[in-house]
Amino acid sequence: MAVAGYTNGTKYTLWTLRTLVVICLVIFFMLPVVWILTTSLAQRIAMFKLPPQLFSKPTWKNFSYIFTQMPVLTWTLNSLIISLGTMVLSLIIGVPAGYAFSRVNFTGKRLLLIVILLTRALPTIVIVLPFRVIMQSIGVLGTRFAVVLIDTVYNAAFTFWLMSGIFESIPEDLEEAARIDGCTPIQAFLLVAVPLSKPGLVTSALFAFIFSWNDFLFALTLTSPDTATLPLGMLSTYGVLQQGWTYMAAMGVVAIIPVVTLSLFLQRYYVSGLTFGGVK
Amino acid sequence: METDTTGFIKTKKNRSLMWFLVPITVYLLFFFLYPVIYDIYISFFDYRLGSQAQFVGFGNYRAMLNDSQYMGSLITTMVFVVAAVVAELVLGMIIALLLNNEHPLMQGIRTIILIPTVFTPLVAGLVWKALYHPDLGMYTYYLRKIGLDIGRGLTVERSSALFSVILVDVWEWTPLMVIVILAGLKSLPKDPYEAAMLDGASRLQIFFRITLPLLRPTLVVALLIRTLDALKIFDIIWAITGGGPGTTTTVANLRIYEVGMQHLKIGYAAALSNVLLVFGVIAGVFFVQSLYKGKEA
Repeated sequence: MAVAGYTNGTKYTLWTLRTLVVICLVIFFMLPVVWILTTSLAQRIAMFKLPPQLFSKPTWKNFSYIFTQMPVLTWTLNSLIISLGTMVLSLIIGVPAGYAFSRVNFTGKRLLLIVILLTRALPTIVIVLPFRVIMQSIGVLGTRFAVVLIDTVYNAAFTFWLMSGIFESIPEDLEEAARIDGCTPIQAFLLVAVPLSKPGLVTSALFAFIFSWNDFLFALTLTSPDTATLPLGMLSTYGVLQQGWTYMAAMGVVAIIPVVTLSLFLQRYYVSGLTFGGVK
Repeated sequence: METDTTGFIKTKKNRSLMWFLVPITVYLLFFFLYPVIYDIYISFFDYRLGSQAQFVGFGNYRAMLNDSQYMGSLITTMVFVVAAVVAELVLGMIIALLLNNEHPLMQGIRTIILIPTVFTPLVAGLVWKALYHPDLGMYTYYLRKIGLDIGRGLTVERSSALFSVILVDVWEWTPLMVIVILAGLKSLPKDPYEAAMLDGASRLQIFFRITLPLLRPTLVVALLIRTLDALKIFDIIWAITGGGPGTTTTVANLRIYEVGMQHLKIGYAAALSNVLLVFGVIAGVFFVQSLYKGKEA
């Protein structure tokens, strides 16, 4: 945008101001990230120094400690199984439903949409108590499967919502053409619509994975010690080790690296997927 | 789309696709609607885990009205939601406008600024807890250094505890706002801007008369998602203050967790959560309405 009528001086001041604001914001958003990375590599003693030190002599000790002295691998594996399970189940349930929703008109369409939106409005705590009772009665309380089931309640609805927006933005003509060539509706969906919705699929999958990976409350209320996830493991460690920031940070790095890497790597899809699904 | 003749034909041809809606419907009936109905049912009972349930009618709801702890937590939740979501929206808008150009540096910032959003919330809570530590925390140290009176520490003082957890929520979710708004900005049509430029409109006029109205659907969706999620805030507060000092940061979700999971008063917890659900539904309906209104206009 052209800044008509401003003198060079004003322009310069504006530019400086803008740069300063951006720098402050970057510090605000990045400092906790830098802190956890450097703390995970810091000597324990460095934590007690004032002024606080962001950078000190790095060591791998924290990582070797948490992997040898704590069941971090088990926690990671539990987190991974639960997140992948949620991702797969959410896609299986949510994607076809989102497609049908964008292609068929039927009575009760609005109602279904509202019910599905309600899952997002539902306070997590509301569902946890009765869910515990249900899980207990079918005998899966404390298993990873129970967590997958509850994570999927929140996620399938989100996948459905996102995907119906994406499919809406894909013209129907291509599937029509495929049908004229003799495809069944299901073939048209699998062979034409699904490949075209790749950014949305990636976004949905990523969200399901992240959501489940980051979940704390459901895991807290539904797992047993054997099936505990990383966030739960972290919390138990933090409590025991009082000032054990370095171990906590190392474990935090283990907990955030997969999701951060994945999301940075898939950012292109993720961003375009968000707009498609969000706005329509 | 629904009203013309081709629409009718399309509907008939696609009827078989209705089967695709069966799994999600069954799933949500069983794992979503059933828990909600169970919650409503059990909220009329005095039910503690391990003992016989006793029907008490609206007793739990009456008790709630006199439960100053829960009422207080509802107010805390409202303050939290409004403050956090408004801050995220305003800050998100400012940052999106700042970053809305194709300079490589800005693209780089855009990439890394997204990191807080994918941070595991519990990890975020624990990291901020360390940064806020009353003696050794980095933020505490430098705030004191620049001469701010923060008492015994931001999270320890009653006056600043709620603010300090709101700040963490702002840190975690503003980037999402930024990304959604940026994407929305990119999809805006060019013509109104050219016309406004020709008319000699100022930057502020352009922003309030063109950008903001055009962004409305994007903003409504972002606000909807953030409001519903903020109503459910748990991890960050659990990790940083545990609801304290006193009850200054005890949001509704935390209180319900205490009642249900620690005191094991299931019936009462269900009543409390149903009230919270009503707030969520009101917020949801409000936003969806304004979304449709925006669409029809």
